[in-house]
Amino acid sequence: MNKTNLVAKQLKDFWNEFKQVKFGIAGIILLILFIILVIFESFLTPFPEASTRWRDITYWEDNPRSVPPVWINWFSQKDYTPTEYIEDLEYTEQNISGPISILNSVIEYQYDYDVPPVDLIYRGNFKGNFSLNIVLERPDGNKINLVTKSFSANTEKDFRISLINESGNNVRSFARRYVQNLPPRVNINTVLFSQTDGELFSNPTPLNGTYKLNINLMKLTEETVIEDTRLVVSGSVSGWLGTDNSKRDVWSGLLAGIKWALFIGLMTSAISVSIGVIYGVVSAYYGGIVDSIMQRIWEVFINIPLLPVLIVLSAIFSPSIWSLILMMSLFFWVGPVKTVRSMALQIKEETYVEAAKALGASHRRIIFRHMIPILIPYSFASMALSVPSAILYEATVSLLGLGDATIVTWGQILHDAMNGGAVTNGLWWWVVPPGIAIALVGMTFAFLGFAMDTILNPKLRTR
Amino acid sequence: MYWRYAVRRILMGVFIYVVIIFIYSALFNTVMDQTLNSQIVEQVNGEIMKMSQVGTDPEYLVEYRLRRIGELRDLYHLDDPILSRIFWRAIDTLTFNYGKSTVMRSFEGETDVIKIVLERIPNTLMLFTTAIIIDILIGVWLGLKKAQKAGKTMDKTTSIITMGVYGLPSWWFGMVMIMLFAFAIPIFPSGGMNSVPPPTTFFGRVLDTLYHMALPIITLVFIGFWGRAYLTRNIVLGNLQEDFIMSARARGIPERSVLYGHALRTSAPPILTMSLLSLLASFSGALVFEGIFSWPGMGNLYWAAVQMNDIPVLLGNLSITTLIYISGIVVLDLIYGFLDPRIKVGGKA
Repeated sequence: MNKTNLVAKQLKDFWNEFKQVKFGIAGIILLILFIILVIFESFLTPFPEASTRWRDITYWEDNPRSVPPVWINWFSQKDYTPTEYIEDLEYTEQNISGPISILNSVIEYQYDYDVPPVDLIYRGNFKGNFSLNIVLERPDGNKINLVTKSFSANTEKDFRISLINESGNNVRSFARRYVQNLPPRVNINTVLFSQTDGELFSNPTPLNGTYKLNINLMKLTEETVIEDTRLVVSGSVSGWLGTDNSKRDVWSGLLAGIKWALFIGLMTSAISVSIGVIYGVVSAYYGGIVDSIMQRIWEVFINIPLLPVLIVLSAIFSPSIWSLILMMSLFFWVGPVKTVRSMALQIKEETYVEAAKALGASHRRIIFRHMIPILIPYSFASMALSVPSAILYEATVSLLGLGDATIVTWGQILHDAMNGGAVTNGLWWWVVPPGIAIALVGMTFAFLGFAMDTILNPKLRTR
Repeated sequence: MYWRYAVRRILMGVFIYVVIIFIYSALFNTVMDQTLNSQIVEQVNGEIMKMSQVGTDPEYLVEYRLRRIGELRDLYHLDDPILSRIFWRAIDTLTFNYGKSTVMRSFEGETDVIKIVLERIPNTLMLFTTAIIIDILIGVWLGLKKAQKAGKTMDKTTSIITMGVYGLPSWWFGMVMIMLFAFAIPIFPSGGMNSVPPPTTFFGRVLDTLYHMALPIITLVFIGFWGRAYLTRNIVLGNLQEDFIMSARARGIPERSVLYGHALRTSAPPILTMSLLSLLASFSGALVFEGIFSWPGMGNLYWAAVQMNDIPVLLGNLSITTLIYISGIVVLDLIYGFLDPRIKVGGKA
């Protein structure tokens, strides 16, 4: 029979059997799901640049710090204000005199929550001279002058105003109208979003309704340009998975980590299993002294405790993701060797190998064309099973702070969580999801690997 | 015949250890040279400081400094060709001559790397062996149950949990457990080996250590026993299909004694050694785990040494870890050889 046909038939049979194993199918579905998440990563996150600017603090500065995910509102008694981005603000322009003109915009913000947002941030780009005044009109009719400030710049620049920070004094004097003795630390956002009764500080009641933010921009020269303005309500809950203590969106980081986890896992297992399979076959095929030497080398490698070596190597050489994959492959290839060797010893005795030899086929041809294809199903099983450990090792090395700083991996998120006191402070949304993600990818490949294993060892199914 | 196998196996282990140390020595050659160099300069400067206080002639000091640095470089073979440096470093490592730490100190304030590592070993072994024993007991018991009812609901659900746990980082599970049982519901201490201050009586101290061991061990065992059970199930199931089981069943021997008497007896050696081997593999995983629970063992030492960038401690710790690891494998092989008559009679080592 033709060799390629034989392999194709073998794979087809294999697939037919694979379809029978339920958790194998579950593994394939999960894998497809992960691939979809990788492909549509930039559409699924509010921060499309999360992957490249993970360590850039300016990219995350508008988010609240260490707040839980939005869906805790479904379970908690009090409603927390979610983070909101109000963009494309519309302004009415009015000329005052000569070069001076006033831009005015009123933003209506519906506040139906119990726990106020952490901050209100107004920001944009500008060039030239302008002064800014923002007044907040509350549902109860009170008006608070939040901020008055002027800006000037010759080149285009960003401006960013944290209304909570800037309005401290004004809000304090507003509160003093209702409460005689202010406590030493006044929670500005609580005052802004609570009813003005005697319990403003001891037990504030939220003031729900429509808040109007009246923004006035006075352009002082004709050349002044103000663009791209937006208001960010920095909530007390944020994103699908909350934020970490550097204001980063955990969900975006988690999403960005999928491709690296898959890449690290698949790359390492593909390289190492290929090496291992070839090594095993060569060792079995040549036999004799070659086999003995190769098996001794294998024995040396199997006796090296991998994780400590990886830790020490990474600590000393501070590797990139590529060299880490290479280092892992250097130690992972030992896995399939013994099984492959014993299988190859049997294949070696098959008649068609004998025939090929008799016909004068080269050693290389026999090994690569006749022996290795037979081992392909086994190779896939062992690749699938070594993916989780590769991901696990990368995560572990990253946990110690030895990861590649140019990318985001789940291990690095957990390292930050560990250092940021997430465990002691109970910031579960920062600790639990990355671990579950690692476990899920591990489970996906374990499903695939165990399913293939079940087919390859029919003994194990039932008795 | 067994002793001949044993001797061969032990010699093989020693040989492999020597080879690995040579590999390490080659890998980390330049880094260690740098560390040694700066250590020598520091040491000589210290000596000169002392001499200048006595009032020695400055010219002599300069000469002394050069001569002393030369001597020390000679002592550590720093001026030799690279191959000879690798050789001498390996010899030093093999004789437990790891040198001095750059930053870290032992609990008693010593700077010898060997002392820093040695005081950690008992703690690691204590935590790890306790976890191993509990792990194997639960794993084998569950595996037998699974094999007995292969294909039934219990077997299937536990198999799925096994796959779920397969890629789970044990240290992450440790973090979650600490969050749950040390902070949210504070029933266990969050880490360390003893309370601060430690109890004064010996008995109180032992109890206190056990209390601190509880959470890490629960975590390790919970992560570990699923795989053990799966392995046991497969081995026992494989044996249940052998002819002698069929004949035992045909003779009307009760299923229970077929399982425990016949199947388990033949499965015991591979179960034991494979469990121990895979646990040995999890040894290195448990090392990272120690950092999470601030358990003062060898793993925690890696963690601290990485943070302080103390290369001699890292390498010394690595050499000892490797030694323990290889010794573990050799001991397991010896047990296996003892249990397996084919090896005992004189098969291939």
